[in-house]
Amino acid sequence: MLKFIAKRLVLMVPVIILMTIIVFSIFYFAPGDPVSRIAGPNVTPEVYESIRQKYGLDQPFFVQYLRFVKSVLKGDLGISILQDRPVIEMIRERLPVTLQIGLLGFVITFIIAIPAGVAAAVKQNTIIDYLCMSGTLVGTAIPTFWLGMLLLYVFAYKLRWFPISGDGTIRQLFLPGLAIGLTNAAITARMVRSSMLDVLRQDYIRTARSKGLYEKVVIYRHALKNALIPVITIMGLRLGWIIGGSVALEIIFSIPGLGRLMVDSILSRDYPVVQGAMIILTSSIILANILADILYAIVDPRIRYS
Amino acid sequence: MSISKDVQVYVDDKWVGQETTNEHITVRKRDTIDFLKRLFRHKGAVIGSIIIVLFVLTAALAPWLTRYSYDAPDVNAILQSPRREHIFGTDEFGRDIFTRIAYGARISLQVAFIAVSFSLMIGTILGALAGYYGGTIDYIISAVTDIAWAFPTTLLAIAFIAALGTGLQNVIIAIALASWAGYCRVVRGQFLSLKQREFIEAARILGMSDARIIFRHILPNALTPVIVMATLELPKAIVIEASLSFLGLGAQPPQPSWGVILDSGKGLLDQAPWVSFFPGLMIMIVVLGFNLFGDALRDVLDPNNS
Repeated sequence: MLKFIAKRLVLMVPVIILMTIIVFSIFYFAPGDPVSRIAGPNVTPEVYESIRQKYGLDQPFFVQYLRFVKSVLKGDLGISILQDRPVIEMIRERLPVTLQIGLLGFVITFIIAIPAGVAAAVKQNTIIDYLCMSGTLVGTAIPTFWLGMLLLYVFAYKLRWFPISGDGTIRQLFLPGLAIGLTNAAITARMVRSSMLDVLRQDYIRTARSKGLYEKVVIYRHALKNALIPVITIMGLRLGWIIGGSVALEIIFSIPGLGRLMVDSILSRDYPVVQGAMIILTSSIILANILADILYAIVDPRIRYS
Repeated sequence: MSISKDVQVYVDDKWVGQETTNEHITVRKRDTIDFLKRLFRHKGAVIGSIIIVLFVLTAALAPWLTRYSYDAPDVNAILQSPRREHIFGTDEFGRDIFTRIAYGARISLQVAFIAVSFSLMIGTILGALAGYYGGTIDYIISAVTDIAWAFPTTLLAIAFIAALGTGLQNVIIAIALASWAGYCRVVRGQFLSLKQREFIEAARILGMSDARIIFRHILPNALTPVIVMATLELPKAIVIEASLSFLGLGAQPPQPSWGVILDSGKGLLDQAPWVSFFPGLMIMIVVLGFNLFGDALRDVLDPNNS
C-alpha cells in the first residue's frame, strides 16, 4: 500500500513540472511587452532597464523558467504589481473562503445526491425515478452562476434569510455553497443511480436477499457501500470544477475569495498574481486527483497496488 | 458522418470487398434512414432538436423578430418590467431585453460553433498522431492531454484569457485551446484499435503514405464518438462564453452577449430581476436542448455505452 502511494506521488512530479512549464509559458509568450505591462507605456529608458533587471526579464526563456521554478519551490510566487506585496500573502488571505465554499458545496452535493440516486435506482422506472432524473436534467443544464443569482434574489433580497453581502461568515457562504451543491448534485445523483443499478444486479446482492436480510440492510449495507466507490473517484476530479464554478459566485455574492482575486488581477493585468493563483489552483487539483486515486485503492480491495 | 457500424474497406477510393459499389451505397442510404428513425423515436432527440432549431432560427432571424435595436437607449423605457411592448422587460438604458437576447443568440451560436470546430480539429489531429505513431510522440501528446483533461475547462479558459487578453475573439481561442483533450483521448483510442485491422495493413502493404492512411482510411471510421462529443461540447462552450462575458473577460458592453446581460442584471437584482432572469433561463433551455439531443445521439450511435 505504502509503495503504491509512493509510486503515485512520484508519478505526480512530471505532471507538476509540465504544469509549471505551461503556466509559465502562457505568460511568457503572452502578446505585449512584459515591461510595459508592469510599468505602463511611458517610462524612461533607465526605469525600463531597471524593471527588466528587477524581474529578470533580460534573461533567456529557460533561465527565466528555472528562476521561476526555484522561487515557487521556496514558496515565493513573486510580488503583485498593483499592491506591491508578496503574491503568496494575498493568496493565503483569499484561499480559505474559496475552500469553505467548495467544502460546503461537497457536503450539500452528498446530502442531496446519495438519497436521490439511491431512491431512483431502487425504484427504477417509477415516478420517483422519473422525477429524480428530470431533476438531474435541469440541474446539469442550469448555469451555476445564474442559480446563484436566483438564490440570492429569493433568499437574500425577498425572504431576507441570508445577508446580501458580508464579510465571509458561514451565513454568507451558504447560498453560494448551495448553488454549487445543487448543480453538482445533479451530475452526482446520475452517477450514484447508474452505479447503484450496476451493483443491484450483482450476485452477492441476490445472495444477501435470499439470506432473508431486510431490504434496507441489503441496500444500505451491501449495495450502497460498493456503489459509492466509483463515485468517490469522480468526486475528486470534480474539485477543479467546483473551484471553476466558484469564481463567478464569489463575484455575485461579493465574497473576497481566490477566484475573485484572479479575475480582478486579470482585468488589472496584475500578472504575477494571476500566475501565482494558477499555480496554487492547478497544484491543488493535481493533488486532489491523486488523493482520489489513493482513496479509491483503499476503499476497493480489488484494486492491486502495483 | 460515418453511421454504418461495419468498417468499410477502401483502397484508393475504391471499395474492396465482396459487395459491389452500388450495393454498398444502398446499404449506406438505408442505414441513414434507419438511423434517423431510431433517433427520433427518442423523446429527448425530438425535444432537443426542436429547442436547437428554435435557437438557431432566433439567432438567424433576430432583426425580423423585433422592432427594437439591441444597443440604442430609450430614456422613456428605463427598467420596465415585462409587459406587452417589452415581453422580457427593459434594462437600465431602456433597451428591450428580448431584443438583446435574440441578438445574443448570434454570439452564443458563433462562439460555440467556431470554438468547438477548432478544438475538434486540434484534438483529432493530436489524437490521430498519438494513436497512429505511438512511441515518443504518443507519450508526449498523452502527457499533455492528461493534464489538459484533468483541468476544468472554465479555469483553463480563464488562464488563456489572462494571457491573450479579454474580448470575444480571444474567448473563442481560449475555449478551443481549453477543450480539445476529450477529442484527443477518444481519437487516440480509436486509432489504437483501428490501426491493427487488416484493411489498414492492406493499405500499408499497397504502399500508401501515412497521411493518406490516417485521413482517408482510419479517420472516417473514428469520427462517430467525436461527433457525439462535439454535440455535448457545444452547450459547454455556450455556458463558458456566458460565464467569461459575465466576468468581464469576454464580450464587452454594449455587445448583447447573454453573459453581458446577466452581468448588467447583477446590480439590478432587487429592482429589476427580469434583466438577469431571462438570459439565464435562455442559457438553461438551450443547454438542455443540446444535452437531450447529444444524449439521444450517443444512445443511438453507441448502444453499448449507455
